[in-house]
Amino acid sequence: MSKFSAITGNGAIAEAMRQISPDVVAAFPITPSTQIIEDFAKFAADGKVDTELITVESEHSAMSACLGASVAGGRVMTATSANGLALMWEMLYVASGMRQPILVAVVNRALSAPINIHCDHNDSMGARDAGWIQIYAENNQEAYDNMLMAPVITEHADVRLPLMVCLDGFIISHSIETMQLEDDSKVKDFVGEHTAYHALLDTDNPSTWGSLDLHDYYIEHKKGQQVAMENVIPVVEEVSERFYQEFGRKYELFESYCLDDAERVVIAINSVAGELKEVIDEVRDAGEKVGLLKIRLFRPFPYAEIAAALKNCKIVTVLDRSTSMGAYGPLFVEICSALYDADPRPMLYSRTFGLGGRELLLNDIRDLFEESKRYLDEGKIEKRSYFLNVRGG
Amino acid sequence: MSKYFEVRWHGRGGQGTVTGAKSLAEAVQGTGKCVSAFPDYGPERRGAPVRAFNRFSDNRIRIHTPILAPNVVMIVDTTLIGTKSLVEGVGESTIFVVNTEKSAAETKSLLGLTTQTVHTVPANHISYRLFKREIPNSAMMGAFARACPEIISLDALIEESEKIFSHLLAAELVGKNVEAIRCGYNEVQTL
Amino acid sequence: MSDKYGLKDWQELPLGGVIPEGGNAADYETGTWRTWRPVWLKDGCIHCLTCWVFCPEGAYVLKDGKTPKGKDRKEIREINYYHCKGCGLCAKECPVNKKGKTEAIQFIREEI
Repeated sequence: MSKFSAITGNGAIAEAMRQISPDVVAAFPITPSTQIIEDFAKFAADGKVDTELITVESEHSAMSACLGASVAGGRVMTATSANGLALMWEMLYVASGMRQPILVAVVNRALSAPINIHCDHNDSMGARDAGWIQIYAENNQEAYDNMLMAPVITEHADVRLPLMVCLDGFIISHSIETMQLEDDSKVKDFVGEHTAYHALLDTDNPSTWGSLDLHDYYIEHKKGQQVAMENVIPVVEEVSERFYQEFGRKYELFESYCLDDAERVVIAINSVAGELKEVIDEVRDAGEKVGLLKIRLFRPFPYAEIAAALKNCKIVTVLDRSTSMGAYGPLFVEICSALYDADPRPMLYSRTFGLGGRELLLNDIRDLFEESKRYLDEGKIEKRSYFLNVRGG
Repeated sequence: MSKYFEVRWHGRGGQGTVTGAKSLAEAVQGTGKCVSAFPDYGPERRGAPVRAFNRFSDNRIRIHTPILAPNVVMIVDTTLIGTKSLVEGVGESTIFVVNTEKSAAETKSLLGLTTQTVHTVPANHISYRLFKREIPNSAMMGAFARACPEIISLDALIEESEKIFSHLLAAELVGKNVEAIRCGYNEVQTL
Repeated sequence: MSDKYGLKDWQELPLGGVIPEGGNAADYETGTWRTWRPVWLKDGCIHCLTCWVFCPEGAYVLKDGKTPKGKDRKEIREINYYHCKGCGLCAKECPVNKKGKTEAIQFIREEI
């Protein structure tokens, strides 16, 4: 039976991993994702999973061990954050290039320096070009659900790419929230058996992995990767629909909240969507047409679908919880690309917030909606881009 | 008035304040409400002031922001009295639950409160009696049930705590924690 | 489909650059790299197989044979010039060549 529980985001991820019981988990724990591996190590020690847990000496080794185990033919997972993900960087590209369906729970945290352990999205956003699928979660329920869908998406024959399930550090990872945990056997049935692709341990059918690939073939392999990424969109839709049939919680490529008739739309990723929904309800009660488009799938980015969802809106505020220094935030850039061909094209501007865990309070969000109203009334955008809640303006 | 019932805990690193908020959330969750519990992580140093938060609601809780205007303030460490953050955002009807052996009247005046209700509970004393050391959480939870019966009754708190503790502790300690909850509930002074 | 050089389209490639079969080095013609050629001299050879051990391309081909006293052993049969890239390691390492009295492997310039 599925049951309601009060557990942390990290605990929810660890539960999902226990239920999936992967062949190998290789990890080097780092704040704020530590509890995932702590909990999972306990499951392994207590014999609740069949997993080979490999403790390694760095995140580079963690991803290397994951890669080796995946190529050997196993279903493989790990968890990390921030500087840990940064240390995996080299191997992230190798994992996606070698088309290994490795899963990583990324508990989003700011990258040093100055050193900071709190939430922002610079870690996973920095890895957005690494060829990994990225799915983001607003709360611990979504993080858990995404984790259950992840193996089905990554191991799909049209996909076979690694995947990051991203959730907000501390805000979600360390918060207890009421959520629904599904029955072990139902999860097992949903996730299904792992099918390996030319496993190295299949010694009857020997294969070579990691061979040299120069100008005669490299770009053909990259083209294959790009097409596999494009295939992710229908696969995510299909798997989410099957998840809905099985467990009753509906997910799409992105979440539309009060979006259909919205004139003023905010686009955001992860936990801040909760606060946005709260304020949208208030502003709607006052008769104003505001809405939220919450990103779920960031890689691949569903450009056409998002453009279609925004076709009736007049002004769009994009909230980035990460920066590309000297450029617009990564989410804003994608939304600009998505809306370039829109006719009429809505007004569009960018706000960066929450770096290193800086809170965005309900009043700040109320101010945001006031601002978008003023811009819309005046027909011009005063400031294209700035940091919210920063001293000195 | 927020649609959430909001609790803010004040304690010191190492005292189990965060665990207190989490245990209370799990117990209230067991009664069928939606809950959240989260800490306000700073540098994690033993003895440094820490805060933890709870929200309770009949509906899904969507927000994660720190609690600015609490319905209840739980003060786990009396030596914090005098720090401004205890009374930040406090309204006329905010309820205080304070771990102290001082009288409710004295505590109220130390906190500079007027219209607010203050519940005192000698949680450290109860803890020494039962565990021979200072782990005030269970007695604080008992006092919370006394202060906020609309969130959780004593009977429900005991029933849920037994379930939660039995996964974590030996039978003898489960019994002692239940006893601490009961004592915390019974030894509350209110003004 | 493949292009005029026989290279495959992206759709035909196994994923992730895997080579989904064993022993396919045999298909690779390294013989075209050769500008010098080792020539195996049957009469000088003592069948110690040092050349076979050192050859990076596996170009030395073995056969079953007997020692002068009649025991079973492997012997060199020939050099496979489809794979021999002319590196000369065999001639350099050959113990018969090293002694200097006779030669078992000559190393000579390729004639055009």
